[in-house]
Amino acid sequence: MRLRVYVAEAIRSSRANVAISVAATVTVLIAVLLLGAFIPTFLAVQSTIDDQKAKLDISVYIKDEATVQQVQGLQNNIVGLESEGLVREFSYVSKDDALAILREQLRDESVLDELASNPLPASFEVLPVDPADNAQIVGQLEGHPAVHEELGVEFEAETTNRFLDVVTIVRWVMLGLTLLLLVAAVLLIGNTIRLSIFARRREVEVMKLVGATNWFIRWPYVIEGVLCGLAGAVVAVVLLLALKLGVVDPLSDATDSGLSDDGTASISFFSLALILILAGAVVGAVGSGITLRRFLRV
Amino acid sequence: MVVFDEVRKIYGPDSVGIDRLSLNIEHGEFVFLVGPSGSGKSTFIRLLIKEIDPTEGTITVGGRNLNTMRRSKVPYLRRSIGCVFQDYKLLPGRSVYDNVAYALQVTGESPRGIKRKVPEILSLVGLSEKGGRMPTELSGGEQQRVSVARAFVNHPRLLIADEPTGNLDPETSIGIMQLLYRINRTGTTVIMATHDREMVDKMQMRVIALEDGRLVRDQRQARYARADEGPVGSSPAR
Ligand SMILES: Nc1ncnc2c1ncn2[C@@H]1O[C@H](COP(=O)(O)OP(=O)(O)OP(=O)(O)O)[C@@H](O)[C@H]1O
Ligand SMILES: [Mg+2]
Repeated sequence: MRLRVYVAEAIRSSRANVAISVAATVTVLIAVLLLGAFIPTFLAVQSTIDDQKAKLDISVYIKDEATVQQVQGLQNNIVGLESEGLVREFSYVSKDDALAILREQLRDESVLDELASNPLPASFEVLPVDPADNAQIVGQLEGHPAVHEELGVEFEAETTNRFLDVVTIVRWVMLGLTLLLLVAAVLLIGNTIRLSIFARRREVEVMKLVGATNWFIRWPYVIEGVLCGLAGAVVAVVLLLALKLGVVDPLSDATDSGLSDDGTASISFFSLALILILAGAVVGAVGSGITLRRFLRV
Repeated sequence: MVVFDEVRKIYGPDSVGIDRLSLNIEHGEFVFLVGPSGSGKSTFIRLLIKEIDPTEGTITVGGRNLNTMRRSKVPYLRRSIGCVFQDYKLLPGRSVYDNVAYALQVTGESPRGIKRKVPEILSLVGLSEKGGRMPTELSGGEQQRVSVARAFVNHPRLLIADEPTGNLDPETSIGIMQLLYRINRTGTTVIMATHDREMVDKMQMRVIALEDGRLVRDQRQARYARADEGPVGSSPAR
């Protein structure tokens, strides 16, 4: 029953201060729009990084003369590294597998038919948790009796290092953008809130003189903030949806890079919309709640 | 009903609001608070509703010590005191009806109770026909009557008015005065700060006179000026 009074008050008040309500709504709209464009971008970059990482594996070549026990020992070493948290996963590639892989990669596989025997070594393909640990992993496996003397343990140090540099830069840029976005949103919202303080100072003073408790005064404003936040977020989501259907989807269909199709990293539009709308409501509520704190002490 | 015990309110180094004021106002009294501009009348009233706290001394309202009252209890104090101000202090953008209803809503009054009490009080102040008007669509006297209606709709035991007729012409003032008198006759204590010499003289009620924050006179059935001041106090008896 109280709630009805509060909601009625909230609607009444946003009608009375249309300009401020619109300003607050637009503020949330902009912030949510930026956030909505940012989250998928961030996830796409992250998933690209993960994709690239998956290609940075280590090949541990096994010499043909190695005994079954020796190979077993090598595998145990790798399992050990896995339980230490250095290795994410590994697989065994037999000589036949290696040949099959090569056959697939070659356009003209007839060359292989000329071979008398299979020259390719068997190997363990080891995927590190963090490519930065590659040198350490190599150090642990090198020199094992099962390891091929000439080929040894191999990974592309230079590629890895360059890639790691790029990842670091991308991370910093992303962090910077996030901070910038947050600061911009806070400044915008703070400004709107200052406007509303001015419009309402007198009104709140009178309410207190009549004996309204702080929460009785606050609730309608909080609800009003939530309504503005929701409205802004919903409009932003609609705009994002239009953007997605009109621009992003046709583009990614055309290039067909498969970049966003792996499912795990990209976020479904539905959950994105849900997060954004929730964020809008929270920002609206917190915004008006905090504003009132300052001048409720009469 | 109201007890001041050696109350001082110092605003700043050379700004004294109230100075060592002691007085006692009984339940059901009608009291005029008079004094020149800057004598501390508004300060007295702001102390009563705990809008400000005294620098020294003790204030008791309706048996409750305001000095030790917690902040969170202040709204309940204010609900038990009706307030009328010179500038009406109506909520802008709300109709007459809604302004009066707000005072009931803050107490958690039911919608049914509001529907019953608001028209009742509006007819008491003679504004039954104008419940739907906005404050800006009313004359000063009408706005002040809304303000009185809002102050009295909860039937508080104490009603205070700070120069309620300060902005009104003499005839309209009499209307407001009569309203306050009728409210007093229902048993409500009324404290009214005023400059209106004629009104005070006519009413012959208790007069508390302040000067520079100090009590200079407290007299029953009194006039605006001290009786022995004679013509010096102006307003010669006709
Ligand atoms: N907020 C304040 N800060 C500093 N000094 C104040 C403040 N409010 C009032 N005063 C001073 O306290 C004294 C009493 O002021 P008060 O408003 O109580 O007078 P008053 O009797 O109501 O005057 P008036 O008849 O003009 O309304 C004055 O000297 C005034 O300057
Ligand atoms: Mg005054």
